[in-house]
Amino acid sequence: MAEASAAALVPHGTVERGARHWWHEYTVMVRWHLASLRMWLVTLTIVQLLAGVGFVLGISLFFAHIPTTAALFVSTGVPVINLLTVGMILGPQLVADQRSNGSYEYLRSMPVSRSVAAAAWYTVCLIGGVPAMVVALGVAQLRYDLPLHVSPMIVPAVLLTSFAGTMLGYALGHAIGSPMATRMVTQLLVFVVFGFAPVLYPLSQMPRWLGAVNWWLPFRHMAVVTRAALTPGGHAAVLSAYVVLCVWAIVCAALAGRALGR
Amino acid sequence: MTAGAVGARPRHVPQSELRSGIGYWVASLASMVRFDYGRVRQWVPMMIVIQTLMGAGMALLYGFFYPHVTAIRALYITTGAPTLALIPVGFVMLPGTVAEQKLEGTFDYIWSLPAPRSAQAASTFTLFTLFALPGSVFALLVAAWRYDVHLAFSPLLVPAVLLCALMAITVGYGMALAIPNPMVTNVITNALMFVVLLFSPIVYPASQLPAWLASVHYFLPFYNMAVVIRAGLTSGIVAHVATSFVVLAAWTAAGAAATAWVVGHRR
Repeated sequence: MAEASAAALVPHGTVERGARHWWHEYTVMVRWHLASLRMWLVTLTIVQLLAGVGFVLGISLFFAHIPTTAALFVSTGVPVINLLTVGMILGPQLVADQRSNGSYEYLRSMPVSRSVAAAAWYTVCLIGGVPAMVVALGVAQLRYDLPLHVSPMIVPAVLLTSFAGTMLGYALGHAIGSPMATRMVTQLLVFVVFGFAPVLYPLSQMPRWLGAVNWWLPFRHMAVVTRAALTPGGHAAVLSAYVVLCVWAIVCAALAGRALGR
Repeated sequence: MTAGAVGARPRHVPQSELRSGIGYWVASLASMVRFDYGRVRQWVPMMIVIQTLMGAGMALLYGFFYPHVTAIRALYITTGAPTLALIPVGFVMLPGTVAEQKLEGTFDYIWSLPAPRSAQAASTFTLFTLFALPGSVFALLVAAWRYDVHLAFSPLLVPAVLLCALMAITVGYGMALAIPNPMVTNVITNALMFVVLLFSPIVYPASQLPAWLASVHYFLPFYNMAVVIRAGLTSGIVAHVATSFVVLAAWTAAGAAATAWVVGHRR
């Protein structure tokens, strides 16, 4: 009798490790995210499609007659924004909501490692971003008849852009304690990405100093790698862009990991 | 004897009687303004900064999208900046604040305060209208400096800006109250900002829109905000200002009606 009760006190699970276990946890977490966010994801997909297509079409309203260069820059910049929306902008806001309504601590208590949680979330961000990106590009092609040329480099460009954005959002969401502050920072980031980074328009149209500032931020480089993979011809600075993006991704992942480990 | 003693005893009245009247309402409004101000005081500088960033920042970044900013483009962008600065306070920040309050439970607490709910709403309208003004002025100054545009101020500017601010806040508040789920409000406000920034003729002439979209905008508040404010800043580039004032007044009334409808219902 005493032995039985003692046995009941011992936790069932032992610490499990290894790639198979990691993969199992990862698939469970992805399914868990997709299931718990299913309503949200539907809304999100609609918003993403509207935003992507809206931007591609809306930019022509700024001009009486839109120049092809302007159309090309917007059309190849919108995919970057689609990729960033979930991971960098909505992700931190979701975490802020969870902090407000109390589910954050519950999620932290789930028995999965940080790397699994991050990888699963990254996957969800890709699922939320890539379809909208494809549709926006398709619409751009139909509307402006652009000289697009998709090279295989689109795969690493998309993966790294999304990864750097997601990790930045992950760091923001988990390292900033106040939900209000998180919301403000993400709003500010939206602003920077849309307007103050050479994502949707050429670098030459912004003041030189602002271009220099942007060299230290990830967004300019995300646009460079994505645009290089979507348009024909040689592109300068692609290699350095990949390097800067990798540095950003690693630093942000480390920051998020530290915040989650506390 | 006994009956007489009972009759003489003062009737048991509740401590606080139901108070009403205009004097009480004004006193409640004053207390609510102080209460609300005390609550948001720490965020006010932040709000003004964000607004300035929004208005001035949008004015700057619209310029980045053009290979050449011509004089007429510069004029449109500059005079659109104060409008852009007014929109987020009412349509984004206020619904966001209400959503946050609903999640935290503060919202119910405020409703339980012994002040008429109409005074509570009026306090919000007053405070946020005042908060909206500095950012709008800063936005105009930054844009005018950046594009070196000469403006012709007219007295019309004062009622125009006040009405625009009040309209944005009334409609934003009415929307935040009328929609029970804060998530839905959030989606709507974000979508609205998108419409405002891209598809509204605030920083570019309405003639660049397809005809159907232009006619939709004659009934929405954003284009009309831009018209009345531009009319106060320039001479001779906008027409039908009176119509725009009427449309804005109608939106204000609609926002106030939505607020009144929600506030007047018991839960």
